[in-house]
Amino acid sequence: MKYRSLASVVAFTAVVAASMLMQTPAAAQAPAAKATPAKTVPAAKAWTAPLLPNGTPDLQGVWTNNTVTDLERPKALAGKEFYTEAELKDLQKQERQRLYVTETEGQPPANHSGVEGAGADDVHYDFSQFGLDRAQAKLAWSRRTSIIVGPEGTIPPLTPDARQRLAEIRAKTKGHEFDGPEMLPLGARCIARVNVVPVLPAAYNSNLQIVQGDGYVAIETEEIHDVRVIPTDGRPHIPGNIRQWYGDPVGHWEGKTLVVDTTNFTELSPFRGAQNLHVIERFTRVDQDTILYQFTVEDPGMWTKAWSGELPITKIDGQIYEYACHEANYGLADTLRGARVAEAEAAKNSAK
Amino acid sequence: MMGWIAVLCCVLSLAAASSVAQVSPYRAPRTADGKPNLSGIWQALNTADWDLEGHAAAAGPVASLGAVFAKPPGLGVVEGDQIPYLPAMAAKRKNNQANWTNLDPEVKCYLPGVPRATYLPYPFQIVQSQNNVLISYEYAGAVRIINMGAPTKAPADSWMGWSNGHWEGETLVVDVTSQMEDTWFDRSGNFHSSALHVVERYTPRTADTMDYEATIEDPNVFSRPWKISMPLYRRVEKNVRLLEFKCPEFTEELLYGPLRKKD
Repeated sequence: MKYRSLASVVAFTAVVAASMLMQTPAAAQAPAAKATPAKTVPAAKAWTAPLLPNGTPDLQGVWTNNTVTDLERPKALAGKEFYTEAELKDLQKQERQRLYVTETEGQPPANHSGVEGAGADDVHYDFSQFGLDRAQAKLAWSRRTSIIVGPEGTIPPLTPDARQRLAEIRAKTKGHEFDGPEMLPLGARCIARVNVVPVLPAAYNSNLQIVQGDGYVAIETEEIHDVRVIPTDGRPHIPGNIRQWYGDPVGHWEGKTLVVDTTNFTELSPFRGAQNLHVIERFTRVDQDTILYQFTVEDPGMWTKAWSGELPITKIDGQIYEYACHEANYGLADTLRGARVAEAEAAKNSAK
Repeated sequence: MMGWIAVLCCVLSLAAASSVAQVSPYRAPRTADGKPNLSGIWQALNTADWDLEGHAAAAGPVASLGAVFAKPPGLGVVEGDQIPYLPAMAAKRKNNQANWTNLDPEVKCYLPGVPRATYLPYPFQIVQSQNNVLISYEYAGAVRIINMGAPTKAPADSWMGWSNGHWEGETLVVDVTSQMEDTWFDRSGNFHSSALHVVERYTPRTADTMDYEATIEDPNVFSRPWKISMPLYRRVEKNVRLLEFKCPEFTEELLYGPLRKKD
């Protein structure tokens, strides 16, 4: 059987995902141990994972994790970890409908100001005009109702310390969102993005390319051309006083699964305000067109417990493009300039 | 006395012999798919990024940094010593040199293009697979993926260009096209146009060194193709790895300081 059609990829992925759930120990911090293909599909020629000439599993290629699945489970779906097949088909139909509406009417108004609590603005963004709507690219469908696995499907509560710290940051930022470049998000400054580690979908161009050499797996995320070159020789992490935006990844193979352990994140990590992040990831190729990606995030100073997620990464045709973010970062300059103009006008008006 | 002359003659003849003797070409260990294995972390060890042509030492652009950021001397890496600019282009280079701290894209942490990425004073890592050779550069997180299959065309111009590679015996040959015109070759204002075409040759020289050559062609700027060459050195420290040099952050005061809110 060739897993060419999207539907069969979806079905297979969902079945594998379901078997993952059943194998996950209840209290475990780590995601499911083995990616054993489920045997519930009718008997056909068994797919064998391709190997590189040096014998390691082949994860290479150009991939996407573009998805409609939210990180956290919507409240309306509390307790429901998976859609049924019928519900998934409905979801796909809704997504096609949403794209149609976007293409004909534009996106609905929303708060794009970057200021928390501001009302919906008058600007009508329409990514579909630029081919950047997520439904205009290949989607990696999953029957999960959230990327985060488990009965709750939400990020665990913050620790009291973290809640306090984030509240203080919010208080200091309020009214100063555009004072200088350091006040803007790391992504807007073209320094680091939130979707690199763990490998989460971005608003668009959720693409990555994997190249494997002896003793290393290199993962290039299209935005912002970030490359993680992961050694698989079991070496130690770099010294603890060296902190990096994307930490220090160290990998090893467990059977057909690449396991990556990343520590040494900075205190200003791009990931949700965590100060001492530890990320464990598992990459397993489950069929010709799919890598099953599982991750666990922990930071005892930030969340009361570790949390895990799972999503399929699917093959795409074509290549990734260069995303020269900083070189053409007119957005940052214009945002600051606009704020200065607004302040000058406000000062002029109050002087009248 | 005769003993000394005998020793001297012996030493002299040995020296003569080694200058005449041919060094047999080095054969690098192979990857599992039978190709010369270029994998590893490499770095140039010269002053090419300051100035491709030979240069004496000179004061740096920031007086308060004194000797720390003065221009070091270098023998140059250009074959024939001089870059063959068209007469009409010489004035532009002069202007670049006079205003280099304002104009050099390296100051702004812009992607360096090829070949400058190779000889920036930061290491880079080659991850070699059958169909692709990925080169990750520590500077600015620059990266390029060299297609080792049938050559493909660039979908668009880019800062790091579009690379198609193939093997010629022990040498990896990389053809680089479609680079943006905004990159420089060095801190001395050496520049090009969007017609730039670069052909690189990476040849393992010993277990821990590699010969690097780049032929540069740009009929808009130069009167003929010209070549640079230099050794590359393997970084052999235990557990060595690239670290992050995400320099956009370090350029914010320069680029956006004037747009900051005044108190």
